[in-house]
Amino acid sequence: MTVPFDYRAPATLADALALLRDHGEEAKPLAGGQSLVPLLALRLARPAVLVDLNRLDELRAIRREGDALVVGALVRHRALERGDGVLAACPLLQEAAALIGNVRVRTLGTIGGSLAHADPAAEWPAVVRALDGVVLVRGPAGDRAIPAGDFFVGALVTALRPGELIVGVRLPVLGPGAGGAVEEFSRRAGDFAIVAAVAVVELAPDGTVARARVSLAGAGSIPQRLPETEAALAGRRPDPETLRGAASRASAIEPEGDAHASAAYRRHLARVLTARALARAAAVAARRGAA
Amino acid sequence: MARPAAPPLRERLRAVGRPLPRHDAWDKVQARTLYAADWQMPGMLHAAVARSPYPAARIRHIDTAKARALPGVAAVLLAQDVPHNTLWTDVPGQTSEVGPLRARIQVLAQEVVRFQGEPVALVAAETREIALHAVELIEVQYDPQPGVFDPEAALAAGAHQVHEGGNLLARWAIRRGDPDRALAQADVVIESVYRCQFIDHAYLEPEAGVAWIDTDGVLTIRVSTQVIEHYRDVAEVLGLPQNRVRVIGPYLGGGFGGKEDVTVEVFLGLLAWRTQRPVKMIWSRQESLLARPKRHPFILRYRTGAARDGRLVAQAVDLLADSGAYAYLSALVLMYAAVTAAGPYRVPHVAVDARVAYTNNPPTSAMRGFGAMQMVLGYESQMDRLARRLGIDPVELRERNALAKGDALPIGQPLDTHVAVVEAARRAWEALGPRRAPSTPAHRIGRGLACNIQPYGRIVWLHDWASAWVGFEMDGSLVVRTGTPDVGGGQAASLCQIAAEVLGLDPGRIAIHIADSALTPLAGTTTATRQLYMSGNAVLRACEGLRRQIVDVAAQLLETQADTVALDAGDAVAHDGRRVGLPKILRECARLGVSRSHLDVYHAPAGDPVDLERGGGRVFPDFTFGAHAVEVEVDTETGAVTVLRHVACHDVGRAINPQSVEGQIQGGAVMGLGYGLMEEVVVDHGVNLSTLFATYLIPTSLDVPDVEPILIESGEGKGPFGARGIGEPPIAPPAAAVANAVEDAVGVRITELPVTPERVARALGLLGDR
Amino acid sequence: MTELTVAFTLNGRPCEVRTAAHRTLLEILRDDLGAMEVKEGCGEGVCGTCTVLLDGEPVSSCLVLAPRAAGCRVTTVRGLGDGDRLHPLQEAFVTQGGVQCGFCIPGMIVTAYAFLRDHPAASREEIRRAIAGNLCRCTGYTKIIDAIASAAPGRGGGAPGAAGG
Repeated sequence: MTVPFDYRAPATLADALALLRDHGEEAKPLAGGQSLVPLLALRLARPAVLVDLNRLDELRAIRREGDALVVGALVRHRALERGDGVLAACPLLQEAAALIGNVRVRTLGTIGGSLAHADPAAEWPAVVRALDGVVLVRGPAGDRAIPAGDFFVGALVTALRPGELIVGVRLPVLGPGAGGAVEEFSRRAGDFAIVAAVAVVELAPDGTVARARVSLAGAGSIPQRLPETEAALAGRRPDPETLRGAASRASAIEPEGDAHASAAYRRHLARVLTARALARAAAVAARRGAA
Repeated sequence: MARPAAPPLRERLRAVGRPLPRHDAWDKVQARTLYAADWQMPGMLHAAVARSPYPAARIRHIDTAKARALPGVAAVLLAQDVPHNTLWTDVPGQTSEVGPLRARIQVLAQEVVRFQGEPVALVAAETREIALHAVELIEVQYDPQPGVFDPEAALAAGAHQVHEGGNLLARWAIRRGDPDRALAQADVVIESVYRCQFIDHAYLEPEAGVAWIDTDGVLTIRVSTQVIEHYRDVAEVLGLPQNRVRVIGPYLGGGFGGKEDVTVEVFLGLLAWRTQRPVKMIWSRQESLLARPKRHPFILRYRTGAARDGRLVAQAVDLLADSGAYAYLSALVLMYAAVTAAGPYRVPHVAVDARVAYTNNPPTSAMRGFGAMQMVLGYESQMDRLARRLGIDPVELRERNALAKGDALPIGQPLDTHVAVVEAARRAWEALGPRRAPSTPAHRIGRGLACNIQPYGRIVWLHDWASAWVGFEMDGSLVVRTGTPDVGGGQAASLCQIAAEVLGLDPGRIAIHIADSALTPLAGTTTATRQLYMSGNAVLRACEGLRRQIVDVAAQLLETQADTVALDAGDAVAHDGRRVGLPKILRECARLGVSRSHLDVYHAPAGDPVDLERGGGRVFPDFTFGAHAVEVEVDTETGAVTVLRHVACHDVGRAINPQSVEGQIQGGAVMGLGYGLMEEVVVDHGVNLSTLFATYLIPTSLDVPDVEPILIESGEGKGPFGARGIGEPPIAPPAAAVANAVEDAVGVRITELPVTPERVARALGLLGDR
Repeated sequence: MTELTVAFTLNGRPCEVRTAAHRTLLEILRDDLGAMEVKEGCGEGVCGTCTVLLDGEPVSSCLVLAPRAAGCRVTTVRGLGDGDRLHPLQEAFVTQGGVQCGFCIPGMIVTAYAFLRDHPAASREEIRRAIAGNLCRCTGYTKIIDAIASAAPGRGGGAPGAAGG
């Protein structure tokens, strides 16, 4: 049962930012509530002020900007799972969204909320990292565009400064000859990942790998990119041997063990899932063909 | 006491044996059922419990001033406010080293806490929110103590003493023949250690209840419970006469043994008595996961000896269980384990040494399967390994060793009903059909078989009985009254079905009132797979008695012989087809002064306590036998195990309602898969790390296949119409079947539950040295 | 602490509740409006027993703060039938043996209702996936899936049922 708080529901983004500025550490923003409300219910979070962002329709927009999608912070996982309209250009987002929690979490949970929460085992941070997305932020000092690589700082810690809100995320649309895949390992369907691998593969016209990007969830306090794996694939054919060899470089990561999985097992899963995600991403890329 | 008459032939049964919808199901889909937490009373207070954060500590001081001062707080109670602060659980008949056991629990901790989550104080307040706030304001100064967290360490010299009198709570020993010599001479000996874990009942309905003082000062407690007889415990704690405490048991949202011991009722009684106002208490899921007694973890050491042709010659078993901080039903659980440890097999030489120790871990008590369930991992893993070692087909190995009617268990318990182990094993195994191909080159398919023996009905030394009252209203509708709690397995509906059968009624003409200690004749606990056997027989007897009364009067009206009159569709029918309706018969009963109701008691065959070590006696009324066969797919890269097929075959004697029986088997099997694959209460030095439903993993629909139930109806059960109990048996085989299937698939033997992907990966050597 | 008035419809009926903002929809449904059909099973959004439809989509009412429900249509299992007539799903759950202790049932039926509305010809496997967020400890799920499948209108199920007895 939550501890009492003052509740505000600002009608504009400017009002929301003003509230966060005025109340500082005493205030917490509320998006979908699927991460925050359990903390409130368990009395682990006790903000004095809750700033409900759900009236901010401007944060629900999804638009295409050239070769990128700009997804508003309040877009629900459910909408991303459905993949209507401009979202159809980014099937990787649909695949990732379908893995999140259960249908109820997806109805209310938001991409912005997930990125701000920065759970090391969450899907969106790893996807955004793999795509080299940019997190769009507004605060007292104005707008910032924070590359994914700089946004996630630690477990449940981001580069957001006091009073800042995520307003959206810019994600590149994968062109022809490019494909993505998510391989997630969890103890039960719909659970948070033990480890998840997000792979994005772009093929050259001759079928070799022009660029590969891999990001891991659950293998560290922040989403991990695998530069050695990525480098090992450049210019190579994405056959199983090559992919496994490249994936074996994933053992360079240093995950933490806990009651759910030991560090050794997470390292092992990282290798296996990386190879599988790369294989599927390459297959998707090949199907989408070079221009 | 004579058993009810032999069952009529299947073709003549009209209600029994049919998949009739349950009356409570209609209510539940419309959400008309009021569970314990759905009850409201005017002026009701809300209660909460303050609990120890430490697994072992002395209490130096408790300051409740701030809590009392909070506006809206009506009462704050500590141990010194409880008239009699001790609850006793009787475990009669304990033999061997530890004497007759009376297990003691503190209602509220006094001076010392022995497990994390132990109740220390109670609060009642105007709202739940205020109560929770008040709990936070209670200031307790603890002196943490070192504690002991492992039963082996607890039994070592110099261990921290959890209670006075040492950490060995109970021990049972069984001896038959000369197992040491038989093992030394056996052609093959399989020796191994198995470990199984703490798990939680995880019923979807958390513990809850409401108490109030009713007319004539009767303290009334409406609580989600499997045992309405706990009114006596409440009376004892409060120092009230037992006839001034009433427990009402609504339909439960699941029990599984977790609502067998007292949960909220004593706390509610204390607070309602103190405040003289109605009080509600609901435990949060996190509180329930933290502090409710769990299933006993066991260390099982098996030495199994066999001849080259697969016939067992010896089983030497050493069992060590963890009682946690309080005894509860541990001594009984241990006994069930010891008696069944050799499995449903003929074994000429047997030694079982079973011990259970106190630790500062969460207390352990009853959970579906009750000790006999954990043993299946031991004896069926051993059988599977034996089959492999000797190159014998798993079904054939069971055929060579299975007990049969007329045999005796190692303790001398005779098996006087059909033993269906071989048929169950064969049918379950064959139902798997052709082996599936793996889904990718990285996957392997494997199959596993596990058989089991599970007692139904309580230990015969307990002189079990159950009563039931049935009576006609003047319009021919029927009322059944019996104290049977309904945990969700259709306990009440089955009784209606039996009544419908005997009295020739449409089930829609029957109303049943259950589980009210003041108003329904007591029927004992809904535990130990006893209710169909006990209440079923009680209702059967009561209905047969009522039938005789009605038929005698009907025969007079029909001017014919009573033994030629049948009851059908609300009429009495003469041999020549003439009918007279019940309302007329009942008016005639009234005129003649013949009772239109009947109260009866079923007394189960009883016996004296048996010295297990010397053997020669009956412990249980009877057993249910079964076998499960699973087909799994193992991902050789991640260790993940997926169950593709699961066939569960049990001899149910007679299926009173086949749809209900199938549902019990499917639900029990899935609970068993959870135990085998994913459930674990992780306890680290007494600290419970599994206190969220997000992290205590029970199977979802995507984690399990459709369990395919196969019913054998041997007709020799001791329940009504030859039924056997089916509540507990299906939970036991899955874990062993899965472990056996994993070895079949990838050649590694997992001896510790749950069979997690990481354990399989480690066994496959995927994780290097560690 | 903020107090406010939250107005919404509950099974088509307009409701207005004066409440502290930090209470959840689950609390106001049960404690203020007597809608006991919505259960409390875990408080974490995991078990599904508190599932209601919010503007037609399934949510964990234990994770919806009261103000969030303002202006919404809230639907529980009691809002699915038609007067005295049970919804075909409710009837199917009874006749197919999908109900044991019943505690998961209100949330399960509401979830199935929304799913079948959007996927009237769903396969058994799709149904199995659709209820993966609703825990059941009694049935092993098979007869629940049987019930939902038999009530799927696109597969020939869903004939209007008589009111329960």
